[in-house]
Amino acid sequence: MKKIHIYILAVTLAFSACKLDNLEKPAAGLSGKFIDAQTNELVQQDIIRGTQIELKEHGYDPVSSQFLVVKTDGTYENSMLFANTYTIQPVRGNFIAVEPQEFKISPGSTLDFKVVPYIRIREASITKTGNKIVATFKIQQNIISNVKKIGLYAHVDSRVGEPMRQAATERELNAVTDANQVYTLEIDLPSNSAVLKPGNQYYFRIGALIDASEAKLNYAPAVRITI
Amino acid sequence: MKNQKIFILMVLMPFLLSSCQKVLDLKPTDKLQPEQLFSDPEGVKVYMANLYYQLPIEDFTFFRQGVNFNGGDPNNGGFAPAMVTDEAMHTEFGDFIGNDDFKWWEQGYKLIREVNLMIDVIPTLAINEAEKKALIGESAFIRAYAYFSLAKRYGGVPLIKGSQPYGSPESLKVPRSTEKETWDFVLQECDVAIENLGTEKGRRANKFTAYALKSRAALHAASLAKFGSRAPLTGDAVTKKLVGLDAATAAGYYDACIKASQAVIASGQYSLFRPNPANPAEAAENYRLLFENPNSAPEEAIFVKGYALPGTSLGHNYDIWYQPAQLANGWPHPGRMNPTLDLVDTYESYDAPGKSAPIVTTSDGITGDYNGYSPTKNYIRYDSPNAIFANKDARLWGTAVLPGTLWKNTPIIIQAGYVKPNGEAVIRVKDQITIGNNTFHTYGAASVTQYSGFDTYGGNNTRTGFSFKKFLNQQKPVVAGWNQSTTDFMEFRYAEVLLNYAEAVVESGTGDAVLAAKVLNDIRKRAAHTTNEPLTVENVQRERRVELSFENKRFWDLIRRREFHTEFNNRSMHTLLPLQDLRALPATKYIFVRVVVPNTNPRTFEPKTYYRYIPGIGTNGLVQNPQY
Repeated sequence: MKKIHIYILAVTLAFSACKLDNLEKPAAGLSGKFIDAQTNELVQQDIIRGTQIELKEHGYDPVSSQFLVVKTDGTYENSMLFANTYTIQPVRGNFIAVEPQEFKISPGSTLDFKVVPYIRIREASITKTGNKIVATFKIQQNIISNVKKIGLYAHVDSRVGEPMRQAATERELNAVTDANQVYTLEIDLPSNSAVLKPGNQYYFRIGALIDASEAKLNYAPAVRITI
Repeated sequence: MKNQKIFILMVLMPFLLSSCQKVLDLKPTDKLQPEQLFSDPEGVKVYMANLYYQLPIEDFTFFRQGVNFNGGDPNNGGFAPAMVTDEAMHTEFGDFIGNDDFKWWEQGYKLIREVNLMIDVIPTLAINEAEKKALIGESAFIRAYAYFSLAKRYGGVPLIKGSQPYGSPESLKVPRSTEKETWDFVLQECDVAIENLGTEKGRRANKFTAYALKSRAALHAASLAKFGSRAPLTGDAVTKKLVGLDAATAAGYYDACIKASQAVIASGQYSLFRPNPANPAEAAENYRLLFENPNSAPEEAIFVKGYALPGTSLGHNYDIWYQPAQLANGWPHPGRMNPTLDLVDTYESYDAPGKSAPIVTTSDGITGDYNGYSPTKNYIRYDSPNAIFANKDARLWGTAVLPGTLWKNTPIIIQAGYVKPNGEAVIRVKDQITIGNNTFHTYGAASVTQYSGFDTYGGNNTRTGFSFKKFLNQQKPVVAGWNQSTTDFMEFRYAEVLLNYAEAVVESGTGDAVLAAKVLNDIRKRAAHTTNEPLTVENVQRERRVELSFENKRFWDLIRRREFHTEFNNRSMHTLLPLQDLRALPATKYIFVRVVVPNTNPRTFEPKTYYRYIPGIGTNGLVQNPQY
């Protein structure tokens, strides 16, 4: 009898000690766009090694930063954040640095960043001419610095860019550019036949990199071409 | 009756309690006390041996998981640090550098705590002054080594220069010093070691081991200062100078490297092993021997880590993982270190010395075409699967098992396929064809036990066209079990000191350029080169790559020279496919095709990886490294 009592006591204690995970899952979220302050167009990005948004949650010290990546089209979204006030700053971007701001994240919050991209790629055109993919474009710089390099990148995925490519043609410029000059880059198809197979579709994208600390490339939108 | 019991208890109580007063001062009877250990010179030796064991030596047991990764379960799939550089690929894995790879923090501070304890007791030991001096020197060497390993991973770190008395937890928290202060402390500790250590050679550190460490560490710091701007980082840690060195500090560090290297060279205590071979074949064999048994080369080996006991943490696993598949001797997963074509290209040719000699496969001489076999291309036909390497640097032959060469008296067959008489190629598919009375197999032999290349069976056959040789034991068959290899590892060798010297001179423009050119060419001469090359940045770096390949130096060379993010920007490694050309029948001819390593993805290095993340900042309150 006494033993049973002890068992009952032990079992009661054991069960009361166990509760399923009682933390609420993150219910808030943040989404938005990187918008060119002058043209109101989205600022194209890289998904790998691209611009990131640094989030520092308030109420913890020290706090580990969270980093959100940005989609190639210049939009971003994280729908699994804890509702709280955060200090938010886009970092290591392809635009003139943006100051950090405090922002209260709640379910469905949106926050757009008006930015000035380092470089605008204008009048971009990518076409297949004979056995070549030919890109022509002009470069408008928005800061006084050298343009390090320009490139034409190819990948089977639409998120093509400098860090994500199967073939590329790059040219080192290391000079300040003239906004009226037309640049031409070509990818020769036969000499890349192992990766760019005839009859398949690939995405091609023009990029340019400014010579600034931790700068990322600026891009024109990717173009799909059947080769 | 009951009252009486209580009474007795009450009387006894004060005695019982008083006898317990010193319970916290009781000494455990199953552990040695510091005084007991350190009062006996043998105890000091045991303690010191343990400190040496903990040194973060990046040898056969250095993997992504850390150093000394051979205790417990040593199964890491045969992944070696060389496989995140351009030296090698794994037969199956394509992993690159993860956040948690190559860290050394907790073990580092454990070693530092234990060496600090040693430093504390040295003055109290009952030994003579000379022995005390030696211990002071060794302790400083170990501490310098530990902080060097921390600095190259984390930048500026908390400098714990003495035992920390236990007080409040807050008093134990030491903030990070700047990266400059950390490097300066490493060099300063090297100086203490140099000053106190003797010149006797053995397995323990001597004066020249400390000079060699200083040479390596100073070159690392100098390179960070000179090339840091190639990969600028931003953030709190940068603003506070916890990571990064000013470019202006480069000169001082190069000078420290030059002086330390010069001290080793001028001492006359060391020289290159077998410096004047008669021909390339002899040079290749000498080079192989140097690593198969460093003890045969006491003139070159400055600091050797020994492996002596098979089956324990004093054995390692290079032979089971990396011997070619044909010689697995029952081990299920051999052949996993695949030297890349990129490395093979780097070696010079005796025909055109002084520059890298990429493997030419077609008569047009183009080496940048990775589009695969085409019947319309004009391939050069060779008489054997290794004739294409005939004039390549002897060290290639001493480092890699080339297709069709003998290893352990067995011809190692590495063949990717054949070209049928009609010009159609069958590549990396198990197939056979009978022509006349002969049957030809794509992989060069009929059964999976008879070849070592390209078949994906078991992940055991090279997919780059090269198998691995350096460090492997040619004398003994593979023992199919854990930790059975006992090849020793040279952590410091004379050739590295010479290369450090040459690099510091050419990068800084100071020092003795004539001597630097001489030592650079001495190393080449040992590899059977007969002409000299000039001292240039490019030549020194190529020489480092080929001479020190697979010694786990390349990873840090890419880090310290800030070349990783440019070298590994969407980078694929390359393979050389040896194909038998059946169009040439009845003659036996081979052609070669340069391709991207099959079944791999390109890899990209993220600049934040130049530093590891600091663990536990929530508790230790340290400033985190950029982008973590």
